[in-house]
Amino acid sequence: MSGRLFDDAMWLAGLVLIGTILCFLLTPIAVTVIMAFDSRAYLGPLPPPSLSLRWFEQFFSDDYFLRGLSTSVKLATLAVAISTAVGLATAFVVERTEFAGKQLLISLFLSPLLVPPVVTGFALLLFLSHLGLINGFARLLCGHIIITVPYTIRATLTGLGGIDRSLTEAALSLGANERAAFWDVTFPLARTSIVSGAIFAFAVSMDDVAVSIMLTDATTYTLPVALISSMRANFDLSIAAASVMLMLVTLGLIVALEKSVGLNRAIGQGVFRS
Amino acid sequence: MQDPTEPVVVFRNVSKRFGSTAAVDAMSFTVAAGETLSLLGPSGCGKTTTLRLVAGFEQPDAGSIEIAGQAMVGKRPYERNVGLLFQHYALFPHMTVAENIGYGLKHRRWPKAEFGDRIAEMLRLVRLEGFDARRPGQLSGGQQQRVALARVLATKPKLVLLDEPLSALDAKLREELGLELKQILSTVGSTTIVVTHDQDEAMSLADRIIVMNRGKIEQLGTPGEIYAQPRTAFVASFIGRTNWFSGSGGTLAVNGVCRLTTNNGTALNVRTVDMPPAGSWRVCVRPERIVIMPAHTAAAGSDANSLEGEVVSVVNMGAQLHFVGQTAEGRITVVQPNRQGSRFQTGEAISLHFGADDCVLLAPDA
Repeated sequence: MSGRLFDDAMWLAGLVLIGTILCFLLTPIAVTVIMAFDSRAYLGPLPPPSLSLRWFEQFFSDDYFLRGLSTSVKLATLAVAISTAVGLATAFVVERTEFAGKQLLISLFLSPLLVPPVVTGFALLLFLSHLGLINGFARLLCGHIIITVPYTIRATLTGLGGIDRSLTEAALSLGANERAAFWDVTFPLARTSIVSGAIFAFAVSMDDVAVSIMLTDATTYTLPVALISSMRANFDLSIAAASVMLMLVTLGLIVALEKSVGLNRAIGQGVFRS
Repeated sequence: MQDPTEPVVVFRNVSKRFGSTAAVDAMSFTVAAGETLSLLGPSGCGKTTTLRLVAGFEQPDAGSIEIAGQAMVGKRPYERNVGLLFQHYALFPHMTVAENIGYGLKHRRWPKAEFGDRIAEMLRLVRLEGFDARRPGQLSGGQQQRVALARVLATKPKLVLLDEPLSALDAKLREELGLELKQILSTVGSTTIVVTHDQDEAMSLADRIIVMNRGKIEQLGTPGEIYAQPRTAFVASFIGRTNWFSGSGGTLAVNGVCRLTTNNGTALNVRTVDMPPAGSWRVCVRPERIVIMPAHTAAAGSDANSLEGEVVSVVNMGAQLHFVGQTAEGRITVVQPNRQGSRFQTGEAISLHFGADDCVLLAPDA
């Protein structure tokens, strides 16, 4: 009997713990969301007496933020396009060939995940100044490719690894050359993995602060960097509004990711494993 | 047009090494037009490598391969007109049945106008009419294998390769689909190589069988020859069940029958065209060649063999009875057709009879 009671107590304790962690994670976000809709012009105690969209209006009328947003979107789009292509090419070659040190090479490709982003940013800043590359956008692009490429390689490798080699061989034996076999068979089957890698990479690029802050210049800066600088200068709630929008973008990406993987399960038989 | 008497496949001294092991070691054989040849052997014997050499997924280190009169060395898989049926079907999961069958037509540059007719014809051939729009994931294993076969045959390849075609299916389905496969292959008159480790698959599909071991041909012959006249101890033990007797030396008796004495002292009459063996030997006797008689029955005929023993077990398999008898030569397996159950019970003394013609004299494996 006592064993059972103890088990039940452990379950209860576990539930309480999970609840606590959830509160801890979600409360700051909830506070931010509420504050973003605060109608007061100053920072007052919660809850706000009434709600409005004034901070969103302010955000969209501030050139400083808009410029950051536009840079962030352009940068993320371009960086993800490049790192998806690079990731696909790299993963394809690594997957299809056997050589000594293959695992080591894969680890090297994924190493930007392990190196602290501040270090990556600082190292890149030094390196690029030595090269004479001082254009802000080009520098940011280099940095963002480095931090996103591990995600695209990883996801594409997983996708390619799940495709039975005999499918490619079947295509070849039916008269397709290697290029045709890739576009007809390998690519469609790996597509969901490639897309999920790209979505993840986009989110990483949009959210990055540590690398970007090292590589920005006076006129080219990303939205997260703009938020941090403006917070230092004058704290107002348009930052909360911007945070809410960033959260919405991320949420949208997660939904898209879930959809692409969910689609994967719907058609998936065997080789569609993600 | 190719001369129909010319072989479709010619292998000449083909070798392939992986590191220090010879996967295929100076293999030579031919496949005649319309023939089904089986490469049979245990895993790692080199049969799959041989298949991949024919398909073009591997290139030989030495020797030459010809298909339909053309040298194949250096040619890519898609530059050969060779169809390959995979063990696990390898259907494209994101394409419908019709798209799968049409894939080869598209890449072998068939006229677009003929696609529909050809796909319908193939589906009729494998009895899957109306399955055009299904996806492979919606089909059973047997249906998937039939779609894969339709996909292979659609482009009329010069040669069809089957890689363990039935081993992914369950026993009953395997038998059904095996018969159907043989029938379809003979309907389209295709020249075929079947690679398998399963002797039933080889026996049921092939006109001729190559038994392979360690990258070499152990024996090439019809299924009947391979079973009844194995040329090496490896072939005899790999194909079917066998009772072994071993000893060394012997004397020549009359009419090509040798008189041998086993290591356990049993006298054996064995028919052989050769001289009696000088060194050690093994004799193979198939279980269904042995007749069980009541104890101490005299063997009929001067060159018959007789062993006294005791029944250790009787297993009724339905169509057959499997006996195991304990004798001076160890355990002997006997298989007899089951007519009215067993006349002999466990523990009963018996006499086992077989003729000199039922024995195959072989050299021990090196």
